[in-house]
Amino acid sequence: MQGTMATSRLRRVLRIGAPLLLIGLLAGCLLPPEPKTEVGRDVFNLYVVVLILAAIVFVAVEGFIIYAVFRYRRKPGDDTLPVQLHGNTTVEIIWTLIPAVIVFILFAVSMVTLGDVEARSEEPGVIVNVEGFQWNWTFSYEDGPTVNAQGGEPPVLAVPVGEPVRVVLSSIDVNHAFYVPQFLIKRDLINLGENGRTNELEFTITEEGTYAGQCAEFCGTDHADMKFVVDAMPRAEYDEYIAALASGETPPPTGEGDCTTTIEIKANNTQFDIGEFEVPAETEFCIAFENQESVPHNVSIYDGGEALFTGSFLNEPGEIVYNVPALPAGDYRFICDAHPQAMVGDVTATE
Amino acid sequence: MATTTLEPRTATYRRSWVLDWLTTVDHKKIGILYIVNSFFFFFAAGILALLIRTELAVPGLQFVDADTYNQAFTMHGTIMLFLFIIPALSGFANYIVPLQLGAPDMAFPRINALSFWLLPLGGLLIFSGYLFGGAAAEGWTGYAPLTDDQFAPGVGTDLWIIGLTLVGTASILGAVNFIATIFKMRAPGMTLFRMPIFVWTVLVTAVLILLATPVLAAGLIALFIDRNYGGSFFDPTVGGNPILWQHIFWFFGHPEVYIVILPAMGVVSEILPVFSRKPLFGYKAFVFATIAIGLLSFSVWAHHMFTTGAVFLPFFSFMTALIGIPTGIKMFNWLGTLWRGKLLLTTAMLFAIGFLSMFLIGGISGVMLASPPIDFHVQDTYFVVAHLHYVFFGGSVFGVFAATYYWFPKMFGRKLNEPLGKVHFWIHFIGFNLAFFPMHQLGLSGMPRRISDYSPDAGWTILNMVSTVGAFMIAVSIIPFLINVIATFINGEPAGDDPWEGNTLEWATTSPPPPYNFDRLPPIHSERPLFFLTHGHGHAAERPDDLEEEGGHKPGDVERRDDDLV
Repeated sequence: MQGTMATSRLRRVLRIGAPLLLIGLLAGCLLPPEPKTEVGRDVFNLYVVVLILAAIVFVAVEGFIIYAVFRYRRKPGDDTLPVQLHGNTTVEIIWTLIPAVIVFILFAVSMVTLGDVEARSEEPGVIVNVEGFQWNWTFSYEDGPTVNAQGGEPPVLAVPVGEPVRVVLSSIDVNHAFYVPQFLIKRDLINLGENGRTNELEFTITEEGTYAGQCAEFCGTDHADMKFVVDAMPRAEYDEYIAALASGETPPPTGEGDCTTTIEIKANNTQFDIGEFEVPAETEFCIAFENQESVPHNVSIYDGGEALFTGSFLNEPGEIVYNVPALPAGDYRFICDAHPQAMVGDVTATE
Repeated sequence: MATTTLEPRTATYRRSWVLDWLTTVDHKKIGILYIVNSFFFFFAAGILALLIRTELAVPGLQFVDADTYNQAFTMHGTIMLFLFIIPALSGFANYIVPLQLGAPDMAFPRINALSFWLLPLGGLLIFSGYLFGGAAAEGWTGYAPLTDDQFAPGVGTDLWIIGLTLVGTASILGAVNFIATIFKMRAPGMTLFRMPIFVWTVLVTAVLILLATPVLAAGLIALFIDRNYGGSFFDPTVGGNPILWQHIFWFFGHPEVYIVILPAMGVVSEILPVFSRKPLFGYKAFVFATIAIGLLSFSVWAHHMFTTGAVFLPFFSFMTALIGIPTGIKMFNWLGTLWRGKLLLTTAMLFAIGFLSMFLIGGISGVMLASPPIDFHVQDTYFVVAHLHYVFFGGSVFGVFAATYYWFPKMFGRKLNEPLGKVHFWIHFIGFNLAFFPMHQLGLSGMPRRISDYSPDAGWTILNMVSTVGAFMIAVSIIPFLINVIATFINGEPAGDDPWEGNTLEWATTSPPPPYNFDRLPPIHSERPLFFLTHGHGHAAERPDDLEEEGGHKPGDVERRDDDLV
């Protein structure tokens, strides 16, 4: 007797507790990363509301399916017909209204958040032109320096924390998408021609730190490697950083070094025209580099993962002469930092 | 003794078995060809899926290079959708729809054969890219300008375009055939509102194909012109617009989602009533919900393009959310059918209930994606991959297997083994959820789709490993299925005409049916003529309408009743 009572109490607890537990589990697990922007927080809150609605619907329907499978299972040998119920207008009207109400709520709250996401400040703290190309990024600060990938690492977009940052998104080839998971937002970069429309995103980062971003729209062979980093720092630090970048941008004096050995390299169609070259060891030399297309390229020299020389970028067609410091005898690689997979060659320094 | 009778013969000369299948115009044989062909492509695309999952199991590129990977997921998506799910469901429709209507064949048997034979041709052309320097590698959505000859110079992409155009043509021909068959070949008494739900879903699907697929064909031809004849439909550098491709593709692509799911919903709506021994709850509401989904599907295409910044978000968000209403109605109709039924959990029924559970998840995540701010975060991530697999795999493919277990006895006269079927179902079901549920979380944490590699620091390793284990479980579950099919052909339990106590006319003839299907049809007074036949008109809760007519119809009867629609 006591056993059955305990069992029935347990069943009651389970009956109420199990769905709640499931809702909690679902809602606890399926969450985006903690948002690091103001807009991201709005999206996060919207997501939580929608997830709770979703979890309730899921548990109710799935619960009924499981209940029905156990409760209404045919007993062996039972050949009787159940009541042949064809429908019930009242019930059907009610269950038309239930999803209607749910989707209207969803639509309404979505539109409110959408207004926040799409809001643009009159004067953003920073405006950066983000240019995507196969398979890297160029960040050009308005009235400031231009940043490319360097040293085999993804390019860094430095921005001040606590101020609206506007990124203007354009592509010079195929579609890409600017996506930082911790900002809970993305937007496509679409090449719409010379004077075509560009997309914009605006966000205010709430916390200092570095945030990984990557291309989210499939863009060809090395799509998976098209990454970048957003580095959010206080305003003062940001100003210093940008000033340093701007001063470092001035190309080193060209052709003034010892150019007794000059290697000519051209870049077109995201390829170098040569696959290898040889230079005398322990001797400075020059690289006369010509970029023949409107895709950012440079030439850097690496010993394994360590950059021995990093050439400044040519983001447009043009020519530059790099003065490269002397290399000890050995084998090295030369790479375009924007295309570390596609544009690689061998350098041999011989005695 | 004088002989006065002439033996009826189906053929006056002997043809080889192979030639018979190659030249057949019998809708049943064509249906089987469709299904067998579809499963062939299912296994091929499944192997590609395993390749993808193996590469993603751990960070780093271990097995394939990036290009091979990109070809694998492009072929996987294209083949699974266009050469497995759609043709498999078309195959069942080919076999079953004329039977359910009491018709002797499809309206245009030769067109039927043509629309089948274009499929293997198109499929092989798409695959043949592998022989010519690499298959298409731009994703099954083929977004311009990545598919432009400048960025995809390989011939694989051209073969992909030609193959898809052929498959699309096959689809359009099939749709015309279904529409003609359903409107013109119904047996006397089979009014539109007495048609089985499966036929209704095939009808709406056929209309969607007829309206949507020509748009894809036009887009593909434009793309072909861009690539080969210097066109500039989608090339922005000379005045084209790459977003135009997305509009064209998704104007076809979203109805296509319903082309893929509606017939599977029809299958489930046949199976649930039979194994619950109840009529489908709210038959007419279900029909209207199906039509509503079909209509709405043409006004939601740009929800695939929320992040392009080029579409009016509130409209497409609202229309997308609206689709949740008829879909919700259907879900409640299915639940109402189970309610107070007498459920017999055969393998077909398990797959049908599996469909309800899994499609539910895909439906919920779909409504979540209709919210633009949420979409901005999860668009093009694994969340979308999870969503589409819960709809296409958890929905349509579960529907295909439910149909296989349900109609196999009708097609071959033998029942598939139930215990083996249940082993198949459970491994399949658990594997499916292991493979695809973690992808929701991967997407929420920011893992983009279509990447061949990810960083070990990203925190995605464990869930990817779980997903890979699940994918292999799905593959393993196919082994008992294949054993089951082979064993049943060798020594299966004879099915008889009506092994499941079916409701619809296909169970009123022999298994397999004779060449022209019926010698005699039972009277048709509702969407469940066979239920009437077994349990009588007088059953307390059965519909009281038009009980006056007794006796059967011969297939050749042309009399029409006053209340016949159309």
